[in-house]
Amino acid sequence: MTDNRKLIGLAVFLLAVFVVVPWLIAVTGRKDFYYTLTSVALLSIASAGVWMTFYIGRINMGQGAFALMGAYVAAILITQYGVSFWWTIPLSGLFCVLASLVIGLPILRLRGVYFAMVSLVLTEVTRLLSLALPITGGAKGITNIPLPGAISLFGITLVPDFATLENPRIAFYYVAVTLMVLAFAAMYRLVNSRIGHICMSLQQNEELASSIGVNIVHLRLIAFGISSFLGGVSGSVFAVVTQSVYPSSFTVTDSVNFMLNCFLGGLAYVFGPMLGTLTLYFGWNLLFETGEFQLLIYSTAMIVLMLILPNGLLSLGENRRKG
Amino acid sequence: MEQVIANGLYLGTQYALIALGLTLIFGLMNVLNFAHGQMYVLGGFVTYTIYGQLGLPFPVAVLASGITLAVIGGLMERYLFRTVIRRSHREESTMLLAAATAFFFDAVILLIFGEKQRGVPKIVKGVFNHFGVILPYDRIVVAVIAGLMILAFILFMKYTRTGRAMRALAQDRVAAQLMGIKVDRYTMIGFALGAMLAGVVGGLLVSITGVNSGIGGPISVKAFLMIMIGGAGVAGGAIAGGFILGMMESVGLTVLREYGDVTYLVIFGALMVFLAIRPNGLMGKPWG
Amino acid sequence: MSSILEVRGLTKKFGGLTAVNDVTFDVREKEILSVIGPNGAGKSTLFKLISSFLTPTEGEVRYKGERISGLAPHIAARKGVVRTFQETTIFRNMTVRDNIIVAHHLRSKASLAGFFLGTAVARADERAFGESADEILSFLNLSDLSGEKAKNLPHGHLRALGIGIGLATDPAVLLLDEPFAGMNHDETGKAVAMVRRLRERGLTVLLVEHDMPAVMKISDRIVVINFGQKIAEGTPAEIQANERVIEAYLGAEDESIGM
Repeated sequence: MTDNRKLIGLAVFLLAVFVVVPWLIAVTGRKDFYYTLTSVALLSIASAGVWMTFYIGRINMGQGAFALMGAYVAAILITQYGVSFWWTIPLSGLFCVLASLVIGLPILRLRGVYFAMVSLVLTEVTRLLSLALPITGGAKGITNIPLPGAISLFGITLVPDFATLENPRIAFYYVAVTLMVLAFAAMYRLVNSRIGHICMSLQQNEELASSIGVNIVHLRLIAFGISSFLGGVSGSVFAVVTQSVYPSSFTVTDSVNFMLNCFLGGLAYVFGPMLGTLTLYFGWNLLFETGEFQLLIYSTAMIVLMLILPNGLLSLGENRRKG
Repeated sequence: MEQVIANGLYLGTQYALIALGLTLIFGLMNVLNFAHGQMYVLGGFVTYTIYGQLGLPFPVAVLASGITLAVIGGLMERYLFRTVIRRSHREESTMLLAAATAFFFDAVILLIFGEKQRGVPKIVKGVFNHFGVILPYDRIVVAVIAGLMILAFILFMKYTRTGRAMRALAQDRVAAQLMGIKVDRYTMIGFALGAMLAGVVGGLLVSITGVNSGIGGPISVKAFLMIMIGGAGVAGGAIAGGFILGMMESVGLTVLREYGDVTYLVIFGALMVFLAIRPNGLMGKPWG
Repeated sequence: MSSILEVRGLTKKFGGLTAVNDVTFDVREKEILSVIGPNGAGKSTLFKLISSFLTPTEGEVRYKGERISGLAPHIAARKGVVRTFQETTIFRNMTVRDNIIVAHHLRSKASLAGFFLGTAVARADERAFGESADEILSFLNLSDLSGEKAKNLPHGHLRALGIGIGLATDPAVLLLDEPFAGMNHDETGKAVAMVRRLRERGLTVLLVEHDMPAVMKISDRIVVINFGQKIAEGTPAEIQANERVIEAYLGAEDESIGM
């Protein structure tokens, strides 16, 4: 793709999420879509993190743990220390980065299913910890998290206090989508820069990578750190959008879903997690009408998709180009 | 103390059997079968239907559980996993397939059997109460059957043609193929056998703990733990892992009772430390 | 000529088995030195010890007087001692050119963050790597295949690509792991010529090899090991006349020694 076509693509995408979608919602009156799309945007950020760990050749089923950590950090900072929501977004991310460095140093040595299973266990450990620790409030969780306040710079209000808004969901939609655009822009840049190539070298052969002088331990930690940062950011905003966090807010199922989002979109494509999240989340919600058959149809569709497109939805374009 | 050990052994035999099925499938085709717990639940419901509802003898019901799951497992390998493995660029794709089949089984189980906890009449009445150990007889019977099955499995893998072919396959797929082993056929048999083990344990245990549609996922996670402890893809590791987890659970439930529900938190924590030191478990081969 | 690499009393034990036992020799600057020995003599363990992919039980490897054994492989590489692998170890899903470009890692002047942000230094690096990769590709006669996915390369070229990956790190000492294995007569001839040209680039080459005629043709000096121990060291002519070497190679392999 030429640079021009990329720019046009970006412009179309930005126009779609910031203008066309709100307009469509206004026309159709389906205000509930704001919440759905906010969720999709936030979950796709966490999925992008998982994708990053896939990119260095690790199957990461621990993203639920970092999303939950991020959610609790935000909730605790806001309700107990009165920190502004806007600060808790990066702070939650950074907390998760620190946690991921401590956890990652030993477990990133594991490969294949071992890493997958340990990261799955990590999700469960975090849930159990949030039940057991005094600061997280046990099974009752933390509720009544206030809405975000205003952002002012030099006395000019850039973002109004969410509590004064008629429909804060619209505001949350813009916040989530902006974060998603930033996250994916960064990921795109990362993957297409030299760092991406080095990560790719790690994915393909760690021994060879270290023979050319790549510090593989260091690089694995960077990738896992980025992944966890995105997980934490996603979780922190989620806690504020739903104004609550429980030990069950992010569980093993969510960790598995993040992974599925990546698979479904396609592991070879940066925007795979976004498309995968959108498809899975919407697919699931659309199937709500089918009542008790929801899970059956959903899982059958997933199996069929897997049989037809084992390399993800985005591999469709690739096949056509080749053929 | 004796009681704790007895409970641990009882849990260990069933856990080892579950882990054996999972590790067999993993060893043969590098697939982490997320649906293993759901297979266990399906086995439970087959026994529940035949023994609990239709009133046929318990052994017939357990046998039916095994056969049903063997057929399901064989079909899954033949029509799902084989296709995806052949067509996918990355072998992790099988994990998505395994997760999707787990959801699928969850849905089917929920539709057919509903959400309620189901139990069946006891197979043996009475309680063993000697040497400071209190254990209902039915638990002893189940543990003995499970123990015999572990033994049978080991002998089968060691001395039969099929067993030896599968071990060769697990060790080196390419070499096995060169030696003239029908790789596709034995992979399918292996998957069926692994599924059968899950089904049989599910059938056996329905007589003690009953069964409900929600326990598939947690059972899978426990099975993952066991094969991580022992080392994935190695039968000895699965058995060791099963008994270790059974023991830890039994000890944990006694010792840590006063601290609330933290047994699994402690087990998970210990496991992560253990794996950091021994990344391939007790006896696993280096992976990847 | 001074020694660039000193191997001193190198020993590696695996459990009860001693794979490499008290091996000592020097590698001189800009020479081609071959380590040979019958199958299972401990060549490949020795190779991994010298390239820091294994930690010795005893003894050490010094590069320009500085100990490198026991360091992580990427640090040994950073100092200038780089190994190649046998042929299947390449970045399979990258193009041939990208394989070489990514292997320029050690030449980066920009930081990782610099590459992310696309700073001027990073862009200069990228340009330089591209040019250098093209030079290496033409040096290895791979220019025509530069856009090909590495996994689609024919066998003979895979090994050249492996050497190219090593060259991209700008090493002082290049360690080649059986560079002639599985080649026919013609291919070996070309590969021998290529290894000679490596030296002309100013590299010191240490290779571990099976193929006796090729080793005799190419080496300045040869180290022979058997049962993990050094049994001889010298020029090809000296080695061919050495009683212990002939003894070690008696039987199935005596014709392959080229005598």
